[in-house]
Amino acid sequence: MIRIPCPHCGPRNSDEFSYIGEEKRRPGPDTSPTEWRTYLYSKSNPAGWTTEQWFHAAGCGKFIVAERHTVTNEVRATRPKPRFERSNAGAEAGGGSS
Amino acid sequence: MPTSTRRGNGSVAEPVARSPIAPAGPTGTRGAWEVSSAHSKAALRLADMTALSKVLVRGAPGEVAPLLCEHLRARREDGSLIVGTGPDSWLVLAPTGRSDAVSEMIASRLRGCTSLVTVIDVTHGSVVLRLSGESARRALEKVCAIDLSDRATPNGSSFRSRVAAVVSTVVRDDVDGDPSYLIVSDRSSGQFLFDALADAGQEFGIGLTGYPEQEI
Amino acid sequence: MIRIGGRVVAGPTRRIGPQPGEVIDRSRSLTFYWNGASRAAYDGDTISSALAAAGDRVLSRSFKYHRPRGILTATFHDPGCLVQVDDEPNVRASHRQVAAGMDVRALHSWPSLRFDVGAANQAVGPFLSAGFYYKTFIKPQRLWPAYERVLQRFAAGGRVSASSPHGDYDKRFAHPDVLVAGGGPAGMAAAIAAAEAGAEVMLVEEEHELGGHLRYGDEVALSRLQELRAAVAAHEQIEVLTNSAVTGRYDDNWVAVLQRSMPHVTERLVKARAKSVVVAVGLIERPYVFEGNDLPGVMLSSAVSRLVNLYAVRPGERAVVFTGNQSGEAAAAALERAGAEVAAVVDARRGGALLRARGRGGVTEVETGDGARVECDLLVTAAGWTAPTLLVNMTGVKPRYCDRAARFVPGDDLPSDVFATGGLVGDGDVDLLVEHGRATGLRAARRALETLDGHGPLTALPRLEPADHPALFRSRTHGFVDLSEDVSSKDLVSAAQEGYDSVELVKRYTTATMGPSQGKLETINTVAVLAESTGRTVAETGTTVWRPPHVPISLGALAGRNLEPVRYSPMQPWHEAVRARPIVAGQWIRPEHYGDPASEVRNVRENVGLIDVTPLGKLDLRGPDVPRLLNFLYVNKWSKLDIGSVRYGVMCGEDGVVADDGVTGHLGPDHYFMSTTSSGASAIYEWIENWLQTTFTDWSVHVTEMTSAFASINVAGPNSRELLRRLVDDVDLGPDAFKYMQVRQGTIAGVANCLMWRIGFTGELSYEVHVPAAFGLYVWEALMAAGADLGVGPFGLEAQRIMRLEKGHFIVGQDTDGLTQAFTAGLDWLVKLDKEDFAGRPELVWQSERSDELRLVGLQPTDPTVVPPEASQIVSGANEIEGRVTSSRFSPTLGRSICLGIVSADLAHAGTVVTVKQPDGTRVTARVMEEHAHFDPAGERLRG
Repeated sequence: MIRIPCPHCGPRNSDEFSYIGEEKRRPGPDTSPTEWRTYLYSKSNPAGWTTEQWFHAAGCGKFIVAERHTVTNEVRATRPKPRFERSNAGAEAGGGSS
Repeated sequence: MPTSTRRGNGSVAEPVARSPIAPAGPTGTRGAWEVSSAHSKAALRLADMTALSKVLVRGAPGEVAPLLCEHLRARREDGSLIVGTGPDSWLVLAPTGRSDAVSEMIASRLRGCTSLVTVIDVTHGSVVLRLSGESARRALEKVCAIDLSDRATPNGSSFRSRVAAVVSTVVRDDVDGDPSYLIVSDRSSGQFLFDALADAGQEFGIGLTGYPEQEI
Repeated sequence: MIRIGGRVVAGPTRRIGPQPGEVIDRSRSLTFYWNGASRAAYDGDTISSALAAAGDRVLSRSFKYHRPRGILTATFHDPGCLVQVDDEPNVRASHRQVAAGMDVRALHSWPSLRFDVGAANQAVGPFLSAGFYYKTFIKPQRLWPAYERVLQRFAAGGRVSASSPHGDYDKRFAHPDVLVAGGGPAGMAAAIAAAEAGAEVMLVEEEHELGGHLRYGDEVALSRLQELRAAVAAHEQIEVLTNSAVTGRYDDNWVAVLQRSMPHVTERLVKARAKSVVVAVGLIERPYVFEGNDLPGVMLSSAVSRLVNLYAVRPGERAVVFTGNQSGEAAAAALERAGAEVAAVVDARRGGALLRARGRGGVTEVETGDGARVECDLLVTAAGWTAPTLLVNMTGVKPRYCDRAARFVPGDDLPSDVFATGGLVGDGDVDLLVEHGRATGLRAARRALETLDGHGPLTALPRLEPADHPALFRSRTHGFVDLSEDVSSKDLVSAAQEGYDSVELVKRYTTATMGPSQGKLETINTVAVLAESTGRTVAETGTTVWRPPHVPISLGALAGRNLEPVRYSPMQPWHEAVRARPIVAGQWIRPEHYGDPASEVRNVRENVGLIDVTPLGKLDLRGPDVPRLLNFLYVNKWSKLDIGSVRYGVMCGEDGVVADDGVTGHLGPDHYFMSTTSSGASAIYEWIENWLQTTFTDWSVHVTEMTSAFASINVAGPNSRELLRRLVDDVDLGPDAFKYMQVRQGTIAGVANCLMWRIGFTGELSYEVHVPAAFGLYVWEALMAAGADLGVGPFGLEAQRIMRLEKGHFIVGQDTDGLTQAFTAGLDWLVKLDKEDFAGRPELVWQSERSDELRLVGLQPTDPTVVPPEASQIVSGANEIEGRVTSSRFSPTLGRSICLGIVSADLAHAGTVVTVKQPDGTRVTARVMEEHAHFDPAGERLRG
């Protein structure tokens, strides 16, 4: 079982978390079916680094963002939510770096 | 059938508050609560502390934590125990019947906060168990995946994780140097959790003990 | 002198005088039973060492050909030494220690070990060749059960009695800084060095005591063993687990350790999260492939050293030793010390070769490469070593073949938190192994403690490399490669000829390496034979992937304790006392009914009933932005909800599919209380938190889960108002003061802070009361007592389901599924597409523009006595599926059957008669109704 460094609680077994999915931005209300269904159903699922959301259900109850390598399962960084309103969200890899 | 004290024709005596955990041995009352008055001298003991008052506090970490407690820590104050249960949530444990007083105390302390603060009495939503004794760590680590060593989980620390598959807040809260853990979980699975801990403690000769004089 | 012949006989004792390293306690003798006959043993004996001491040579019959088998390795992995002990099958006789009174029996022998009818399989051997099962038991399919019975009889792995006491299994978590797998010299040294550097160490050893090969070594080895053991014991920081095995190493050093035979539990699975792992599992001696290599009396050199030095047993009287290394010489020396005659030493390093062993029931003669025949009862082989690289390879590192050492080595580029030492890495004397182990242990500790100033300077890692070894895999003759599965080298050759020329294919086709030894003894020889028959090198052929578990784990240990939480309402003691029939609903245990659901329905319709609805999800919502949140979560509008009022709402996912429904009330300024379905409670909480934490991060709302904080009781029926009035003083319950869809806070039976909602899932005048949970039982009993003259009685989930169906209320997940969007559920009246945004709105806008959608409708079977089972199909004349019945019951109120169903749009008009195809194939008709509600569609009872 991999460990996920929760930015709030420290490294924890992944079975404390539920996997939410890749980070996505919700389209606005005047969306098109194609754009909306891409948001709902499409995953890029790279063999490599991915930025994804986890929910620390059996822990602090917070949604977090993790950068995980889908091949090696290495989690190189996690950060707390919220992040959408942060100006430099992409540059932030602080918090619970593994 | 369980009995509440009744007078005839539907009129009833004082309401009785009950833990979801069937009391070990003889019972007494503490305030409105029916509590176990068993006394165990075993080296490892498990007690149902559900009658404690429990108050949940929510607020912005930056504003509230300095006034209450840091996440992953627990702090004793005026006969109550303030536990950091998440970056923006706190749980205050206090003697039975004190939840209104504690809520008012916390609310007044946090009155100056600019962000939303919520103080809720959650006494009825949770069970509280206390597992104490030399082998408490060894018993607990049979059903909890967190590192319980002194280095990782010293006295005064707290965490939220699963205990016997039940999501719980655990506080390392030694009593007079005797290792001790408070375990706070959802009320509805309280009996399950109590039984699971009693089972985990069996190889260490666990004894079921009652609600103590010194509540918290 | 023991008689060496076709018959297996127990001879005079082969126990020899005291040995310096023996592990038996001669002051404690005991008796156990072997196939019903008593045998003597000492405390510390394994089953097989005790049997060897008693002169028993045949311990089992082999899996496929039922050939006699005896001790080969004298270790856990001994393929011919699986036995039944009391009720326990498949016990490893060369590992399990004897206990007084044990009833040990041979497996695979029917009707007896001496006369085994299955041995006739030897005569038909060619028919049981590679792929035999695949080719033979194919047709006709109707005979499969018969084949299965026959095969089971021959291949039976023992007997399990249904009355066997259930073992006591559990689990434990551990967090060592350094976990050392293997307690030989290198492993012990690593543990000591790590502990000296300040690390908490877990040292795991498969055998019953620490020491590895030092235990059965010479005097020098024994004295080093004592030193190392003393040093380990001196460190409190080292937790030693003997008779335990590391069965796997997973991501982030999550290590599974199987701990056996402790005082309180049968087996325990330790889940260790180690900061560093040191793999020091040593080497496994491998068998040699030649004709007759499975005969009892053919033993590995380490088995001989173990039997003589640990158990003081002389394994034979006259021996031939075939050797390619020092271990063979050590075995020869041990045999001489034990008083056996070493008739010949055939040294492979000097061109010596072994052709075949002969005998029936045991070796009687050996033929060497030069044609010489030597009479003997023991043939010792020292053909080389296998490095069990599993734990290292589980990190993703691939094993590499070392040609000059003729073995696979773990491979390079280990992760920074996994270390290897000892025989796995290379060969050396004790000093070198200890030195390498210490240096490795120190590195592991420094990595774990993330410090560079550990104990002492970091000395260079000494060179430890595999020694040269002749490539001894197979002789010129053919023999068994896999003794667990009875796979011979000939089988592998024919498999290769049939085209199964990759090692993974050969493995699956022949089942080589798939038996109880799981490749530890067989893999390298399998690879070598395949390489030979395909004209490739061993390195080119490669090895099969080693997979966990490293040693077998019982299912009991994997299961551990049953940790599946159950949830109970505060009224559970009452339900149990009146023997309510329980039903499992998710984690909740709830009353399904109290004897007769139909009469429970009638009582609610006529008098008043109580139902325990505690599992209803309950969320406390506070903050100025709650109305915005509700507007977003629900498909309907929430901006204008007065304090003291409640409203029904439906939530849809972003796909427009109905996700949950419930009632939310406005309790006070910035304070709302939401109820969800019982099954949806935790998912809806998580969903709301997701929106607040990730999307609407600037909204001021706090959501608190209160499901268990309140005991929830629905008081339903015409007498409900009167019943509540008797226990409530501080709330005016009058029909004009407390209207339908309103909420009040007050005191019930002296319990303050209760919530009362006037709503009704059952269609009756009813109040859903939420009582502080610890008082739940008290209030329930008070209601029961106060309403005796009003006809109060309990009702369960089934009665509630009947009544809601009478009222046509759908249940999310029952009458809807993962594709049911809001308009299909008939929620046209509720969905407000003029709201700017809400969850699922785009999909619902598009759904509203389509006209061919399925619809949820009320249905009444033409024959009122027929209740079509739920999930019955609704079909067209052409037998095409047009929908299905989602709910159906017999209504005690209406005296007829009623249903809800989903049908295609063109059938969804009132009066349409549809055909319902029941699961048994019969067809009935049903009429589509005007409304979902079958009873009181205007809701007059509810609003009264």
